[in-house]
Amino acid sequence: MRGHRDLGWVCLAAVVAALVAALAPWDVVRLLAAVPLAVFLPGYAITAAAFGPQRLDPQRLAMLTLLCGLSLLCLGGIVLNFLPGGIRTVTWAVLLVLVVLATARAAALRRGRPDGRPSGWTRPRLRGADIACVVLAAVLVVGTLVFAYTPLPASKAVGYTALWMLPSKNSADPAVKVGVISAEQGRQHYRLEARIGENGKPKRYHLALDPGEERAIEVPFKAPAGTKRHVVVSLYDSDRPHQLYRRVTTWTAGSQPGEG
Amino acid sequence: MSSRDSRASGSRGRLLPAGPAPLALIVLGAAVGLLLCAYTNALSREGGDPTQLVYWAGVLLIVVPIAARISMEDVSLRERFALVALFGLSLYAVKVIRDPFLFTFPDEPIHAYNANQALIHHGLFNGNPILPVTSGYPGLASATSALMSLSGLSSFTAGVILIGLARLLLVLSLFVLFTRVSGSHRLAGLAVVIYAGSSNFLYWGVQYSYESLSLPLLVAVLAAFAEREVAGPKLLRSWAVPIVLGTMAVVVTHHLTSYALVIVLVLLAVIYRLARSPKPNPWPFAVFTAVLAGGWMLIAANNTVDYLDPVFSGAVTSIWNTVFGESQARGLFESASNDLVYTTPFVARLITLGAVGFLFLGFLAGIREVWARRENKPFVWLFCLGAAGFFGTLALRFAPEAWETGNRAAMYLFIGLAFVVAYPALRLIRKGPRLMLRRAALLASIAVIVIGGAIAGWPWDSQLAQPTRITADDGTEIESEPITLARWVGEKLPRQKFAAADADARMILAPGGARAKTGEALAIKTILEENRLLSWELPSLRGNGLGYLVADRRRVSTDPGRGSFFFVPGSQENALRSPATMHKFGEVPLGRTYDSGNIVVFDLRDRP
Repeated sequence: MRGHRDLGWVCLAAVVAALVAALAPWDVVRLLAAVPLAVFLPGYAITAAAFGPQRLDPQRLAMLTLLCGLSLLCLGGIVLNFLPGGIRTVTWAVLLVLVVLATARAAALRRGRPDGRPSGWTRPRLRGADIACVVLAAVLVVGTLVFAYTPLPASKAVGYTALWMLPSKNSADPAVKVGVISAEQGRQHYRLEARIGENGKPKRYHLALDPGEERAIEVPFKAPAGTKRHVVVSLYDSDRPHQLYRRVTTWTAGSQPGEG
Repeated sequence: MSSRDSRASGSRGRLLPAGPAPLALIVLGAAVGLLLCAYTNALSREGGDPTQLVYWAGVLLIVVPIAARISMEDVSLRERFALVALFGLSLYAVKVIRDPFLFTFPDEPIHAYNANQALIHHGLFNGNPILPVTSGYPGLASATSALMSLSGLSSFTAGVILIGLARLLLVLSLFVLFTRVSGSHRLAGLAVVIYAGSSNFLYWGVQYSYESLSLPLLVAVLAAFAEREVAGPKLLRSWAVPIVLGTMAVVVTHHLTSYALVIVLVLLAVIYRLARSPKPNPWPFAVFTAVLAGGWMLIAANNTVDYLDPVFSGAVTSIWNTVFGESQARGLFESASNDLVYTTPFVARLITLGAVGFLFLGFLAGIREVWARRENKPFVWLFCLGAAGFFGTLALRFAPEAWETGNRAAMYLFIGLAFVVAYPALRLIRKGPRLMLRRAALLASIAVIVIGGAIAGWPWDSQLAQPTRITADDGTEIESEPITLARWVGEKLPRQKFAAADADARMILAPGGARAKTGEALAIKTILEENRLLSWELPSLRGNGLGYLVADRRRVSTDPGRGSFFFVPGSQENALRSPATMHKFGEVPLGRTYDSGNIVVFDLRDRP
């Protein structure tokens, strides 16, 4: 790779990016390493290997880098699928680094000695007014993204409450786990009634949930061995206390394995 | 490259004007355009029913300045290239800011499920309960899994980045291809802008789906072919590397795109022969692609025929029935969802028809110009064929079962049409009297073509965002009913199988992460919609391993494009089915595991 600075930088960047992607604890930092490692560096190295000493203009280089980089991503998973380890962070990182190193080496061999010609790439000339426009545009784009990614109130959208019931796994005695999820627009008060068996006396619970809040309750019951009990859990909204709001039911003998 | 273009690219040494460069102003304009789109979408998510005028003004603020600059004579190759990249990415951002929280387009959750499964199982080919054929074409899942595993991000974020890169590849490849074939980067830039008039450019073509990745790869392969055609003997092998790599990627990513590539290469081989081109005939690549695509279908994706056969046979039958009056022709500008029909306003229809009219006029003038120039380049012939084929696909829009086939084929054929139409477009703005007027006419036509295409490709009522996530009175974020269900399923019952309506099933796949079947499979659609159950229906579901059934009273739940949003009373899409559709499960009886009002989950094995 000696004398081919671009290839040297690509190899170094690939190794560093792989280490960052594999070891860094922050997703944003990993993303900044992952995209070049996954697409641009292998794409550039493969293109360099294919074209050897031939100089490509920026348009064709950009297209080929993306084409080769994305193609490698489409095919790489299939290769990993049949190798030990399969698709994992480490295997992807190793595969991509190996591809970059191997193709960069092939490119260096094909290029031969550096010809000393300057690169065809010239830096664009930016003036203060241009920089100001681009910075302003960048600020607007960031603002747009923040705006787009911020959920807004929607007064016409109807909130709702979800009631669920599953056999309890943790209880030694037969029990069901009942949950209430509030996706209402405001704080809501509920009355929960759990009736075990056809003639059982209902157990009552009173809940108050904020929007987005979930509450789970364990409702134990007694069931003779080998018999199923009909459990009916009803939820009433405090605004309309006599009108059934939600209902879940089950016939259960207690805990069932394999849930959750 | 023409000598005129070369002069433009070599104009670096001149004195620079005092104000900001046009490119910098255009970047700023595009940013303002995006802000307008985000603002209108935010109003729409709020339920404010904003006028779409502001939204389209935002889109035009991206399109028109770029079109104006790119069609100018004295613009360097580098600037045109930057404009093309800006154009592609800005219009892609319009879609991203429309759905910033999760995938809501019909195919997106299906592919997100595949990508998530690839990471969970550390491998591909894990099957897909809704669209099994997607599992046999794991190119997209493979690429997404790389970004997910290396960055730790979700399939949503990784998918958005990946499709963004694919969109960039598409516009850059179109530019390189058109430049090479026409010899003018001015014409190429204009043709790329015209390509945005393809009905799927703004939305469908950038959803997180395998075709959104494979089409850019196909165009890049074609661009590499066009470059190889003029390359010296020493570079023939060099260009073969990206061609072979890209072809293999297309084959493992999408069935129809790989067949389209075979057809294009076969056509090119025939045209080379007919035109007695001295360049090397591409038939070896055509054979290679055909063998690869056929082999992949036989070995890895043998359910492809089962998937495609009903689509194409249905399209053929529908065309036949429509032509011979046995079935009613499909109404234009209508999108049907269940028994609800959404219509498009008159002005929007007019713009779309105007776009088709402009394109047709451009096509006729372009063909005339190609004929007058005695163009004998195989790619020009190919583009002319594609352009003619595009107008053939428009007729398919009248056949109910064939319109989607026509719409999808148009994405490929529009490449040729954009190139052909760019000839007269460039001619319109040649130097001479009333140049300003002619330039204005061209820009207005481009605006109509791009907006008309977007209206033709995506239902009018779905152009703007709908609420999936909102803030409640206290500022807490809450999500729509189907999404809350999906997250609950993912948390509590991730290993279970569900039968659900189309929209709910997709949400259960992603973000839920569980398995769900839907539609005609196992008569699920019938079971959910009817008022009475037949004796065999539930045993059939149980016998096929389904543990739970999701009943949804919202009519829109069968529409995967509209069914994942918040309930807004009074709107057409929030009509409810008869309560009997829900009560019939209680009469069996079945255990009710989850109840959120419109959506109830029944446990198929929970019985007295």
